[in-house]
Amino acid sequence: MGDKLNLQRQSFLGADSEIVLGRSKAALVGIGGGGSHIAQQLAHIGLGSFLPIDPDFIEDTNLNRLVGATMEDVKLGIAKVDIAERVIKAVNPAAEVIKRRANWTEVTSELRDVDIIFACVDSISCRSELEGFARRFLIPLIDIGMDVQESSGEFSISGQVMLSMPGKPCMRCMGLVNDEALAKEAARYGVAGAKPQVVWPNGTLASIAVGFFMKLVTPWETRKETPLLLEYDGDAQTVAQSYKLAYLPACCKHFDSLNELGDPFWTPDALAIVE
Amino acid sequence: MRTILKLTATLHEDLVQRLRVPHDFAGERVAFLKCRPALSATSLLLLAGGVHHVEDEDYVDDPSAGATVGRSGLRKALQAAYREAVSMVHVHLHEHRGRPRFSRTDLRENALFVPDFWNVQPSLPHGAVVFSFNSAVGQCWIPGRSSPSSVEVAIVGSPMRCTWKVTNG
Repeated sequence: MGDKLNLQRQSFLGADSEIVLGRSKAALVGIGGGGSHIAQQLAHIGLGSFLPIDPDFIEDTNLNRLVGATMEDVKLGIAKVDIAERVIKAVNPAAEVIKRRANWTEVTSELRDVDIIFACVDSISCRSELEGFARRFLIPLIDIGMDVQESSGEFSISGQVMLSMPGKPCMRCMGLVNDEALAKEAARYGVAGAKPQVVWPNGTLASIAVGFFMKLVTPWETRKETPLLLEYDGDAQTVAQSYKLAYLPACCKHFDSLNELGDPFWTPDALAIVE
Repeated sequence: MRTILKLTATLHEDLVQRLRVPHDFAGERVAFLKCRPALSATSLLLLAGGVHHVEDEDYVDDPSAGATVGRSGLRKALQAAYREAVSMVHVHLHEHRGRPRFSRTDLRENALFVPDFWNVQPSLPHGAVVFSFNSAVGQCWIPGRSSPSSVEVAIVGSPMRCTWKVTNG
């Protein structure tokens, strides 16, 4: 037994699946409650390259949900991306991990290289900006989000997993991003307290997100198309296709222009930097 | 540095469908992908956002080649590149599965007409790609370089298809 991950039990994913996964690269924007689950699962399935991005260090309030984090990490103030790297490497030492303790806007050059972006971010504005970036460089994006709302003295858990595929409906098409929600969020900026978060809904949503990804890169069947939006009802413990799917346009009207593709400041001189 | 042409599965499906429509006399059809370039940390990306199709009347009856585009067809393609400020990638289809190859004629013609796009868009890379039903190969002319680089192709959709990630790509 060497250090090579034995993927024999998932060979049903296709003859080339191990190669495809080994040559694939995922960015994880946000390595908190959701992103840490995704990093761990992608390590198990044999993903070759990881780009975990998060500016934060672990805090004691993260321990209730951040997979792989320990009390010792909190005492030492370890960066979340370092914990992700440790978790990934412990499962698959051969995996490439290019970690960035930064905001994603600081590492856009590296982010352009990935095959998929997992968006595990808190705000609507960040989701929207990240999707705009992904569309510009034709990168599929899988977004997960969970929410705990108080109503009539009780709490309600909900969430969603969304696939933003270039050429297909976007977050605005699906109503996850709209001007009203962005304005409300902007008005609350700086006054919102810590959002309630727990481990099991994050785990559920993260597992579905990994399933979305696997269906894209190593489809094990072709009869059923992956829905673009799944909604999680944490109270009823169910996951279902969103009713919004029935009303979606076939293609996206928000990102359909050539002008929204590529480098807005293209110059061939920059080629010298890449080489 | 790798050069990667990326296009959505939707665009690819439309493209292949149009390329397969029989022509009165041409043995095959050609088109141009309109692309915007970008640089990543490791690669030159050609991001396709539309297709410039060669119109029926712009083919020349030339039994020595699968498809020969006449002057007016090339002029229209050059005009599209100029007007829309895009990189142009000439495309055609070989109707088989597996990795396609450019013919000698393709390679000779590519080297002649692709750099012509520098007359209207000198700062942009331009190229040529041949698709099969499940793969593709290509060449890209980058400003400042005399010889073309090879192009990998990524079709972004469900499923994702990247020519460099499969054993028969």
